[in-house]
Amino acid sequence: MTGTQSSLPAPVARLWEPLLERSRSKRALLLMAPLLVFELLLFVAPFLILLRISLMEGAPDLRYAAGTWSLDGYVEVFTNGVLLDPIIYSFKLGLAATAITVVIALFYAYAIWRAEGALKSALLFSVVLPLLTTLVIKTYAFRPLLSPNGTLNDVLLTLNLVSEPIQFAPGTVGVLVGQIYIVLPYAVLAIYSVLSTMDWGLVEAARDLGASRPRSFVEVVVPQAMPGILVATVISFAWSVGAYAAPGLLGSRDLAFAIEVEQRLLSNLDWEIATAYSVVMLVLMLASVAVLTVVLGRFGGEVEYA
Amino acid sequence: MSEITLSGLEKRYGDELAVEDVSVTIDDGELLCLLGPSGSGKSTTLRMLAGLETPTDGDIRIGDEDVTDRPAYERTTATVFQDWALFPNKTVLENVAFGLKMQGVGKEDRHDRAREMLERVRMAEYADDDPMNLSGGQKQRVALARSLAVNPDVLLLDEPLSNLDKRLSEDMQIELREIHAELEETFVHVTHDQDEAFTLADRIGIMADGTLVQVGEPNEVYQNPKNRFIEGFLGDTNFVEGTVERTTPDTVRVETELGRTVGLPTAAADATALEAGDAVTLSLRPEVLSVEPVSAASDDAESSGAVRADGSTTNAVVGTIENVLYRGSTVRYSVVVNGTTVFVERTVGDGSAFDAGDEIRIDWDGADLLAFRDDGSRVDL
Repeated sequence: MTGTQSSLPAPVARLWEPLLERSRSKRALLLMAPLLVFELLLFVAPFLILLRISLMEGAPDLRYAAGTWSLDGYVEVFTNGVLLDPIIYSFKLGLAATAITVVIALFYAYAIWRAEGALKSALLFSVVLPLLTTLVIKTYAFRPLLSPNGTLNDVLLTLNLVSEPIQFAPGTVGVLVGQIYIVLPYAVLAIYSVLSTMDWGLVEAARDLGASRPRSFVEVVVPQAMPGILVATVISFAWSVGAYAAPGLLGSRDLAFAIEVEQRLLSNLDWEIATAYSVVMLVLMLASVAVLTVVLGRFGGEVEYA
Repeated sequence: MSEITLSGLEKRYGDELAVEDVSVTIDDGELLCLLGPSGSGKSTTLRMLAGLETPTDGDIRIGDEDVTDRPAYERTTATVFQDWALFPNKTVLENVAFGLKMQGVGKEDRHDRAREMLERVRMAEYADDDPMNLSGGQKQRVALARSLAVNPDVLLLDEPLSNLDKRLSEDMQIELREIHAELEETFVHVTHDQDEAFTLADRIGIMADGTLVQVGEPNEVYQNPKNRFIEGFLGDTNFVEGTVERTTPDTVRVETELGRTVGLPTAAADATALEAGDAVTLSLRPEVLSVEPVSAASDDAESSGAVRADGSTTNAVVGTIENVLYRGSTVRYSVVVNGTTVFVERTVGDGSAFDAGDEIRIDWDGADLLAFRDDGSRVDL
């Protein structure tokens, strides 16, 4: 048995052995098989295909030149300045949407946690409700609300708060609002799931020892909610950086990375560039999430993997 | 200075009255135990003192200040909670230093003071540990240190020992007494455990159904319970039902379910005002009952209510032992007397032991009994 194992290539063995170590018996691995097959078919295999395409040569009339090997796609990504802007835009959108979403979600989750009876149900339901509507419709619904002749401007003009209409959408403000609206329910639920297991007695203990309401929130609630905040941050960030619907439906000149990829794939037929672009973006995302995890982990948000 | 006055304190949750008209003055430096069964309102009263609950009526004064509407963080009280409520994301030291941090004490100063407190409760070596890894007794000590670190005017203890095992809890009771003696601060301690209350308290306040029934020194509430509930709650006793047969100027004669008429020597107007036919309940504490084998009993001439040579009255009854319960240093016998079961206790090694089925004679001095009216109030004998 050890013979077969040591004959595995080193990287595979490195992954395989702890797995064996953990499961102790092959039966446990068998139980994991459906999950492994699922992951392989739906995630690993498509990603390998994408990786392979990114390493092909471009072809004038085709999507890519099948069977060829080339780094042209990556060279294009790193040298063509036009491709840099969408990355910067997407990361800015990701940071802004995440920061606002997590703050709102934290207070919202706290409100649900503290509410009782019918109010609690109503607050929880109001979080879940948007999830029951299709993303395109609920995002597009912000256009009549935020456009220059939309409802919000009507209100602002009537109240004499502005002298002429402001174009929230189509525009970056609209994109931001739309994106926050998309990810907020997930962020609220992630934080609430952690808060709901927390003992209110800890907050009482903090108040009893002289912590004011805001202070006890910062000192006790936030550190306790940190695992949920971390999950909410990662979900919001990953989704917002890869956002497609909100910039597409509510943006004007909002060229997000995902839209650029779509154009390269469908209009320009530059598949090797689009895929290389995606791979680079994936690496950047992984690096950012790793940094986020480490930074937030400092504040007590230890995520249990086991 | 930090005398506490509660007057007409009331807490209502919707239609439910959790605490009703509680008024008491707690002296500076006193250790008051609020004792009562669960649901009696003792914890709610304590939480109102801490500022964690707002009274629906009445007020609370600490020293000269009315603190009724003051939030917990602006009160000079500190609470030790039943489940200790240690902050899981902070070390033991940070937990103890928390209150001082809230007061704006610099990091070094507050850590020095926290270390001092941890030493006092003999937990100094755990300063950098995660409180979640400590045992119950250790968490309890840390919680105590954390509350003491802010140097509160009043320390409130909400059943802090109820999650500990008996031995540990008893050790902590002694330690709490020592700390109380040393600090000379006012302590209010809530418990449902009579032994704990008797060990700790300068005075005991007994609560039932949201009201404060009686407040007094431990031996006073034990010897002079105000009503039947307190008599039953403070220790084990036999309640025997009966009806008044007749009242003379110096005795109330009660016909009991034991099949004997029991004489209660009295001169009090309260007792002689009882009328024939009034229902009364007598309390026969095991410590006032003496037991002897029937064979050794003197002749039947010494009948119920007879006056002995020393002037006390005797009320002996005979019964059959139903079962025997060994309780370590004492043995408890359940005895059936005229169809009613009463229990008596003997210290192990105190005379001959009895077995189930034996006939024994139970005797007492009528002056040692307490009597209660139908509504639970005590008859003044």
